[in-house]
Amino acid sequence: MVINTFRQVMRGLAILALMFAAGAACAVDLNMPVGVTPISQDVYGLHMYAFWVCVGIGTVVFGLILISIIWHRKSTGHQAAQFHESTVLEVVWTIIPFIILIALAIPAAKVLVKMTNTSDPDMTIKITGFQWKWNYAYLQDGFSYFSMLAADSNAAAQLDSGINPDTVPHYLRDVDHPLVVPVGKKVRLLITSDDVIHSWYVADFAAKTDAIPGFVNETWIQVDKPGTYRGGCTELCGRGHGFMPIVVVAMPAADYQKWVTAMQAGNGAYINPASMQPESVGSPVVFSAAELNFNAVSPVAAGGNAASPPTAAPAAAKPAAASAPAEVTHTVAGQQWTLATAMAHGKQIYAANCAACHMPDGKGNAAMNVPAIAGGPIPNGPLAAHISLVLHGKGIMPPWGNILNDADLAAVITFERNAFGNHTGDLVQPSQIKAAR
Amino acid sequence: MSTATVAHEHHAEHPSGIWRWITTTNHKDIGTLYLVFSLIMFFIGGAFAMLIRAELFEPGMQLMDPLFFNEMTTLHGLIMIFGAIMPAFVGLANWMIPMMVGAPDMALPRMNNWSFWILPFAMLLLLSTMFMPGGGPAGGWTMYPPLMLQTGVAFPFVIFAVHMLGISSVMGAINVIATILNLRAPGMSLMKMPLFVWSWLITAYLLIAVMPVLAGAVTMMLTDKYFGTSFFNAAGGGDPVLYQHVFWFFGHPEVYIMILPAFGIISEIIPTFARKPLFGYSSMVYAISSIAFLSFIVWAHHMFTVGMPLTAQLFFMFTTMLIAVPTGVKVFNWVATMWRGSLSFETPMLFAIAFVILFTIGGFSGVMLALVPADYQYHQTYFVVAHFHYVLVTGAAFAIMGAVYYWLPKWTGHMYNETLAKWHFWLTAISANVLYFPMHFLGLAGMPRRIPDYPVQFTDLNMLASIGGFAFGLAQLLFVFVIFQCVRGGKKAEARAWEGAHGLEWTLPSPPPYHSFTEPPAAQLIWAHPYRDD
Repeated sequence: MVINTFRQVMRGLAILALMFAAGAACAVDLNMPVGVTPISQDVYGLHMYAFWVCVGIGTVVFGLILISIIWHRKSTGHQAAQFHESTVLEVVWTIIPFIILIALAIPAAKVLVKMTNTSDPDMTIKITGFQWKWNYAYLQDGFSYFSMLAADSNAAAQLDSGINPDTVPHYLRDVDHPLVVPVGKKVRLLITSDDVIHSWYVADFAAKTDAIPGFVNETWIQVDKPGTYRGGCTELCGRGHGFMPIVVVAMPAADYQKWVTAMQAGNGAYINPASMQPESVGSPVVFSAAELNFNAVSPVAAGGNAASPPTAAPAAAKPAAASAPAEVTHTVAGQQWTLATAMAHGKQIYAANCAACHMPDGKGNAAMNVPAIAGGPIPNGPLAAHISLVLHGKGIMPPWGNILNDADLAAVITFERNAFGNHTGDLVQPSQIKAAR
Repeated sequence: MSTATVAHEHHAEHPSGIWRWITTTNHKDIGTLYLVFSLIMFFIGGAFAMLIRAELFEPGMQLMDPLFFNEMTTLHGLIMIFGAIMPAFVGLANWMIPMMVGAPDMALPRMNNWSFWILPFAMLLLLSTMFMPGGGPAGGWTMYPPLMLQTGVAFPFVIFAVHMLGISSVMGAINVIATILNLRAPGMSLMKMPLFVWSWLITAYLLIAVMPVLAGAVTMMLTDKYFGTSFFNAAGGGDPVLYQHVFWFFGHPEVYIMILPAFGIISEIIPTFARKPLFGYSSMVYAISSIAFLSFIVWAHHMFTVGMPLTAQLFFMFTTMLIAVPTGVKVFNWVATMWRGSLSFETPMLFAIAFVILFTIGGFSGVMLALVPADYQYHQTYFVVAHFHYVLVTGAAFAIMGAVYYWLPKWTGHMYNETLAKWHFWLTAISANVLYFPMHFLGLAGMPRRIPDYPVQFTDLNMLASIGGFAFGLAQLLFVFVIFQCVRGGKKAEARAWEGAHGLEWTLPSPPPYHSFTEPPAAQLIWAHPYRDD
């Protein structure tokens, strides 16, 4: 009996040991990253401190259990003692944990106070969560852009795509347009959402803040090391929850300033921070002086968790942007599509924006109640209704008029009306979208 | 065999076959129904978990649409909580409380029948939503708006199912309280009650306090969707975070509803197999009471990242950490009960010892999660998934399995197959750790929970967890087999099936008569109780 049980215990231990060996062998991070912000380093220290406290307590408690199991067994003839109460012991093991907890709570409270101090930032970026992408608005610099899952990851992530994720660089951790921040500056992040609750999380910054529709939360980061840092949405936000990563590029302040200047001069194209060249893919950069008005940041007047507006709006980095009309410019004047160019561009826009719900084959998603594009009544019905639906949205369909520009919308609507077996022959021009807005 | 007197005999006539189970008002029949229902739900919720682990076996989407994956995580949570763990505890309460307090039956037998029979219909309704246009609920078991409002046709049906589950739980809780307060044998004062009874008395009060809060939260969401209110809609002056506050005001006590009866079970099993009285009976009672009280003032620790003021975050951090004190007292008392005992390691004891160790590991990650700055890193990652599976699977579910083996001889009159049961224990204990321990690492490395696909650096640990998951699932088939075999036959169990067992239930024959105690048990039987100072 003893031998039997002992053998069983040893077998269990051997398997556990194998498991840890396997864990160690797979060469992945097994612990929280130390990170690259002062806060993330404090949090890591707190985490390791708490961990070792737990290991200490565990060693004592599990040690006592093990001694009991080994020495105080009936099969070795051990007679049971009959004690069942000791007020002294009860008091001792109430007070000692209490003291340990105080020793944990004090440093935790200190870090928390530091974490929540978002005052005196060097700059502010407003982050808005969408199903399923992020929008980054550089409030002082007057531009904003969308950041969504990179096309190669998106293609590989389709059901039975046949693409091995191992062959995709940074699978599910890459975006078309990364967020760019300067190194060594205190960057305040204002975080909100356009639809459901999201959460903006980058482990290397120990920054995780919920994006709540109608309210603006705030946090701050100060990245001390140039580099590319990756994270993602951490609040379940629907079908694409696992597919809205975050990439942050931290650059030396001088390079960052060059990037900002290039963005402002880029005529709507996103400037790749690595190459400093305009990107041809993804949604365009939108310029808006309205973003400079901090009071307009919150869609709803301040509530319990809305950020307090800063006392003074900082001076605009670019005078031209400040004097520009508050209205967003959607159309590059005089741009015209041909059917071929509209179809080619529309296909890209569709893959990046529409395929998540309407599916890459245009068949829609019955489980989500998303209608098909292929043979569907809207893409084969009156053009005006189609444009209106895309511009204004319906149900879980977002109002794309707020997200894409006129040229992209014209192209993607043209594409939808002439792809997947639809043959309306309609060619939509940016001017028609502008008129329908 | 029957102790029923002539005057009671008409009670013993009851229909046979299916009508016995539909019309029954007998606490043992209803207890059996609850336990069988819970086992079935454990397998349905488990099947969903198997699908989740299969999809997460390697990166890329191989088996299902991401939306279906979200349905699986949502329904897995709802079914395991409301279908498996809670009904299992109510089943144990039904079977054991009347026998432990020396009563003939539960105090409100007709309501008892009703509170069970609502359950299968509520669960069928919930499961049927998977086949409705737009699919079942896919917003997580917490059902946060506005995401939950995107549910299709299923939305009102899910909420109605939650209402029915809540009504069933509240009726069960009323019955438990009425039984414990009114039907105790003469001489059994509150502080002489077995700890399982104590833990259920407190749990029942928690249920009555918080199930209506859940009903309120989901009803507010229902009126937001259909009647133009804006409780959780910022555009109408509401706040989505309000839902989270209301939900977790239910949700945190709910967590203790799923662990306090487990504490009671472990406090029954360990003294039996240590052949030694439970250490610190009264401090155990006070510890359960303190945990229950604290459970009402810690709810916001589930939502530190929603943007609460600093002072609120500090308050909820300190109250949460305080829970470690009474929980620690319980663990130390169990260890002190084992200390210098005369231990033997039958299957219930193996599950109890595994409970103490693995629940404590879940407690450690709980203390770490309480530290708000660290929680900003752990929150909504697999670290949290590891934490709550350690307390709910290797905690609550292990306690339930231990309880089943502990009382199976009493219920059936037969001893179960100890060899197979030990195989079940070891397979379960090892596979559960292979399944859940790597999740700590995944979470610390930054893998968010509730994602259907993941970056390739998480592959190895996910594969390991999936293998553990499949093994865990298969091992439970052995559990069913051992139970089935034991019900069918086996070595005859004595009234006191375990050498070291004390308590009134062991004074009845195995299996016990249809009406447990038709006469109050003799006072000296209560005095012989192991918790007493005599």
